[in-house]
Amino acid sequence: MTQLLQTLILGLLLGGVYALAASGLTLIFGVMKVINIAHGAFVILAAFITYWIWDTFGIDPLMGIFITTPLVFALGWITYKVIVAPIRTAPMASTVLLTFGLALVLEGAMGEIWGNNSTSIRPSYVDESFIVGDLFLPKAQVYGGVIAVVVLVLLWLVLTKSWLGRAIRAAASNPDSAELVGIKVAAVAALVFALGIAAAAAAGAITGVLYPFVPGSHYQWIARLLAIVVLGGLGSLNGAVLGAILFGLAEAFTSTYWSPAWATAVPYAIVFAVLLVRPQGLMGTRLREDAVAP
Amino acid sequence: MAAAVTGVLVTSLAACGGDDDGGGGGADDPIVIGSSLPLTGEFSQPGQAAQQGYEVWQEMVNADGGLLDRDVELVIKDDASNQNTIVADYNALIGQDNVDLLLGTFSSLLNLPASAVAEKNQMLYVEPAGGSPELFSRGFEYLFFAQQSTADRQGLLFAEYVAELPDAERPKTAAYPTLDDPFAMPVVNGMREILEEAGVETVYSETYAIDTRNFDSIVSSMRGADPDMVVHGAQFEDGVGMTRAMLKGGFAPDVLFQTNAPSFRQQYEDSVGPENTEGVTFGVSHSPEADSEGNQEFVDKYEDMFGTREVPEDAADAYAAGQVLAAAVESVGSIEDQGALADWLRENEVTTILGDLSWNEDGSPTGDFLIGQWQDGVPEIVLPVDVSTAELSLGWKPGGAG
Repeated sequence: MTQLLQTLILGLLLGGVYALAASGLTLIFGVMKVINIAHGAFVILAAFITYWIWDTFGIDPLMGIFITTPLVFALGWITYKVIVAPIRTAPMASTVLLTFGLALVLEGAMGEIWGNNSTSIRPSYVDESFIVGDLFLPKAQVYGGVIAVVVLVLLWLVLTKSWLGRAIRAAASNPDSAELVGIKVAAVAALVFALGIAAAAAAGAITGVLYPFVPGSHYQWIARLLAIVVLGGLGSLNGAVLGAILFGLAEAFTSTYWSPAWATAVPYAIVFAVLLVRPQGLMGTRLREDAVAP
Repeated sequence: MAAAVTGVLVTSLAACGGDDDGGGGGADDPIVIGSSLPLTGEFSQPGQAAQQGYEVWQEMVNADGGLLDRDVELVIKDDASNQNTIVADYNALIGQDNVDLLLGTFSSLLNLPASAVAEKNQMLYVEPAGGSPELFSRGFEYLFFAQQSTADRQGLLFAEYVAELPDAERPKTAAYPTLDDPFAMPVVNGMREILEEAGVETVYSETYAIDTRNFDSIVSSMRGADPDMVVHGAQFEDGVGMTRAMLKGGFAPDVLFQTNAPSFRQQYEDSVGPENTEGVTFGVSHSPEADSEGNQEFVDKYEDMFGTREVPEDAADAYAAGQVLAAAVESVGSIEDQGALADWLRENEVTTILGDLSWNEDGSPTGDFLIGQWQDGVPEIVLPVDVSTAELSLGWKPGGAG
């Protein structure tokens, strides 16, 4: 029973961080139909910026989110305006190639600035855990999980309870009609892209504390994040959260009850299985043209 | 994904005025030596260290008059830790850059395909860091490993030390978490065989994939099995990740042996915390403090070029690979017949900063690996006793308990 509970807790904590990182990716796709292959690179970039802030100024890396996130938000805005906006309406393959190129540029830039050696962020609590009976709850994971939940709730509130959120949803569901009612879709798209990248930044700050990283670590992240948003349903924030938690739980339970050798493979097998039954993902909406297709 | 793009990144370390066509045949032309290293990606840590080792070797050889009185130029490509890219890289080194000689790459995973390219082209392939026995079971004639022993024997001395302890002192149980890697697994399997024969019960044995980042669940399982000893087959990132997860889980077995990661000295200390290194044991091929022939000159030069005497093991291994290649070339007196270079290595012993190296017919080395241990914040050599810099003190004491 202890092992079961321990695995459940570790899986949920892992899923929380995945959810935060995946939320931005699905948000960007939902509004712009852009699959941002550079999303993982922004996660790692945020981890490096967090490291720099912690190493240079001694600011706690998790508190550093308040610096990292606005910085990367601004970078996301600029990236959108300079790189993504000109080909936003191009075929999806073009944006995939473009953002893949961006990921490589970011990887190279990080290597030049911080080097290609493994980097670790070690605040005082990094090796500590809350002990509850026979269970251990790693402090960094718990703090990271709490931050992930807070950021996701804020994001959800913005999307569902604010005028901005309504504008975003309107721009996502019908850009032409949104323009007609006075919503500046281009501005909304820039904001959403920057918001999505900022969410990646928050996740990057947390993962930088949890795991060592190198500039090339983004490949592992983007592979996981794409699987998570596809599992949840492309464009669905709730789906991304659900997909992330399932992904985290699948990794933890496979590692504990089957074999760690399969821990990174089984979640992808689950994605395949779900897509066979629900091609639109767990919470994705089936498009009208899909529904009438034979 | 990075392979296609980063694979074309060529880091030419050649001096200005080099021959555009690569290897030159003239008596005054430099000898061009090609290699591809994982300068980015999963193995970038050791890959960059190996690059440093090759650079130091090049500088020192050229300062000493070069090879066969010709300067040495290096052409080093970045394989991005990718098995496909490295095949393309070595094919390009041989077919396009027309290099005269080859040097190997880092890790068994990458040396496996790279050495096959060299063998097909009948070029000598001295590699600094690929100890999987699998490499030497293919009947290759041009492949040589420039360390003391293959992976299955790299933890041998420590396993034998533990096995020979009196019953009361010997760990009763052991866990073997291992990266699914052709280097890490043979080390662990070799040690496990000896320990099981000595009566140390295996209570956990699992492999994990190379892209594993979260080790909490593995630690949770090991914690449940409660072993006295953990033998961890790792590279750098996962070695650090596992140690950190063990610390978070409050899981500190009496004995911790890890491959690779603890030999990275300062980088390992920075990653797991200096207070948590005490007593960690590891297999290692080189010590900056060793009094082997030429070692202090190498360390001095490394310090000149890179500003520290904390020489990564992989830099030393790469330097030694250069020494082995140089010994063969100078002794044969020509680079035209690479079969003759290989034959010479099979029949002779080479003095390197890792000690004297010699090889079996299959190119695998015949010696014993060193065992290191972190003591008072310093990685010491503890086995074999005749070259040790400190006495082995069994026990991992994280948190500065030592």
